[in-house]
Amino acid sequence: MSQVLPPSVTKLIDAFSRLPGVGSKTASRLTYYLLRAPEDVSLALSEALVELKTKTQYCEICHNITEDSPCPVCRDVRRDQTTIVVVEDPLDVVAVERTGSYRGVYHVLHGAISPVDGIGPDHLKLKELVERIEAKPVAEVIIATNPNMEGEATAMYVKQMVEPLGVKITRLARGLPSGGDLEYVDTVTLMRAFEGRGDMK
Amino acid sequence: MGGGREHQKLTSISHKTYFEPDMQIDYLSLKNFRNYARLELGIPTGPVVLHGENAQGKTSLLEAIYYLATSTSPYTNSDRQLINWQVANDILPYAQVGADIITTERIMSRVEITLIMESEGTNRFRKELRINGVSKRRSDLLGMIGVVMFLPQDLMLVEGSPSQRRRYLDLTLGQVDDEYTEALNKFDKVLLQRNALLRRIAANYASKTELEYWDEQLAECAGVIIAARQRIIRELEGLAQDYHHDISGGREDLQLVYQPSFEPTVEGDGQQSFNLFGMDLHREMDAAEIAPQYREALLDNQKEEVERGMTLIGPQRDDLRFMVNGRDLSMFGSRGQARTGVLAIKLAELVWMKEQFGAYPILLLDEVVAELDARRRAYLLEQIKHVNQVLLTTTELSVLTNGFLSTATLWQVEEGQISPINSVDA
Ligand SMILES: [Zn+2]
Repeated sequence: MSQVLPPSVTKLIDAFSRLPGVGSKTASRLTYYLLRAPEDVSLALSEALVELKTKTQYCEICHNITEDSPCPVCRDVRRDQTTIVVVEDPLDVVAVERTGSYRGVYHVLHGAISPVDGIGPDHLKLKELVERIEAKPVAEVIIATNPNMEGEATAMYVKQMVEPLGVKITRLARGLPSGGDLEYVDTVTLMRAFEGRGDMK
Repeated sequence: MGGGREHQKLTSISHKTYFEPDMQIDYLSLKNFRNYARLELGIPTGPVVLHGENAQGKTSLLEAIYYLATSTSPYTNSDRQLINWQVANDILPYAQVGADIITTERIMSRVEITLIMESEGTNRFRKELRINGVSKRRSDLLGMIGVVMFLPQDLMLVEGSPSQRRRYLDLTLGQVDDEYTEALNKFDKVLLQRNALLRRIAANYASKTELEYWDEQLAECAGVIIAARQRIIRELEGLAQDYHHDISGGREDLQLVYQPSFEPTVEGDGQQSFNLFGMDLHREMDAAEIAPQYREALLDNQKEEVERGMTLIGPQRDDLRFMVNGRDLSMFGSRGQARTGVLAIKLAELVWMKEQFGAYPILLLDEVVAELDARRRAYLLEQIKHVNQVLLTTTELSVLTNGFLSTATLWQVEEGQISPINSVDA
């Protein structure tokens, strides 16, 4: 079947197929949609794809995705720069921001410890967190990694590394559905989890 | 050995009175389940004999009842196989098992488990449990309805692999102890991560200090698992000894010996001792006592575990041994002795479940009666006559005694259809 399709079509189908949650069926459907759609649709898409990589970078302070470093949150003088929420992914920052009640800053680890996936502490922005706290004193570190096994393993690590610096460490966990993903927790539950955060044992 | 048997002989098998609570399935509905496109079936109490050729749907009916009680199949780990693909032509194929059940408190409840494809064309299935129309978690099903299933492959329990015996313990405990099931599931996940980490350490991609968290998690789960296994084996042994003694004509003493790959000791010195003769001198310990000892043992074995790239001690390597008169049945027993041992533990399980639930569980016997010799068959049929609800499948009615048949409801199963049999020429 692949012979009847021009390489430029199969190339895009293959590219879509590599995305998470996209099967070969959906990949084909998207490709044929773009084939039939007006040219500006695919041009806008390709432009967005290029800009995604060329215009974005990690914030030098919190390692969130940003176009300008430091990011708007780290630059915001009205935000409390001495309270840091530690999260696994940029989408978790979005989830916490959605609550509208957090006025501190973030630290994005870019993943969680998972030996099965070959991810150890060295692959995360852990060293950067320690350096950041050493450079500028911090009052509280709130660990908001996901309430699942990998998230807990990561939380343990953050705690072990930050504890010697004499910072208050709290863990966002109570009331969150265990085994879940912070990104999908509803705003009210997340707000409550913030208010009820406890010292980490 | 076999302490307390003489003065306790078979008292655990109490005779039914009118005041005793029952547990039963009153009505069963199947949709797209295995051989059945659709089935609506009232189920009487007492013995029900399902007669028919192979592959007509006898076993599927028993499987459906087991599935309803435990939300797992005794035959397969693949949910896909439970769906009747010939009739499930919806966009999202599904299978459904539903039943009106009467719990020990005499309350009628409607339980429904629906297995549905997550999204079109995937191989992932989602289980939805509803009790009286309300969406519930698996653990809410616990304690509502108990089942004991006896399959021909169970006859290999003594001679079979340790994993078969562990699975037996897991399924039995899983029906009454949610904490056990949770610990078991978590243990498997942690073990996977820990083994991966051991291999990473061996390859110098990770350091030994990273083991700390996983060791702690593993030990916490292992404590729960080991404590529960210790307890159930001791309890089953007490009950099975009477049966085994009885079936063997008083010549044999059965012992069930838990053989953990890591053995906690009461003294807490972490010494591993192999119980070559199955003498268990240790008292029962709780999870909190076991966990730190297991953790200690993980540290002691760390070097070797890193070299081998896997976790060498723990519940994943446990075994349960059947000993008769001090000898291991799997090595020194005859086939008949092994079968006596299995029959004894299954009858013990029935009473054990009764003690947990406060009423006899539903007994499901799949083709197993025909596999037993006449003497053991007669013994089994005699022992189960007080069980409130028994469903039994057979290809030949002649394997059943006339006495048993006269008390039973007889059904013919053919191509996913069930019809009553009115007269028997046995
Ligand atoms: Zn930033």
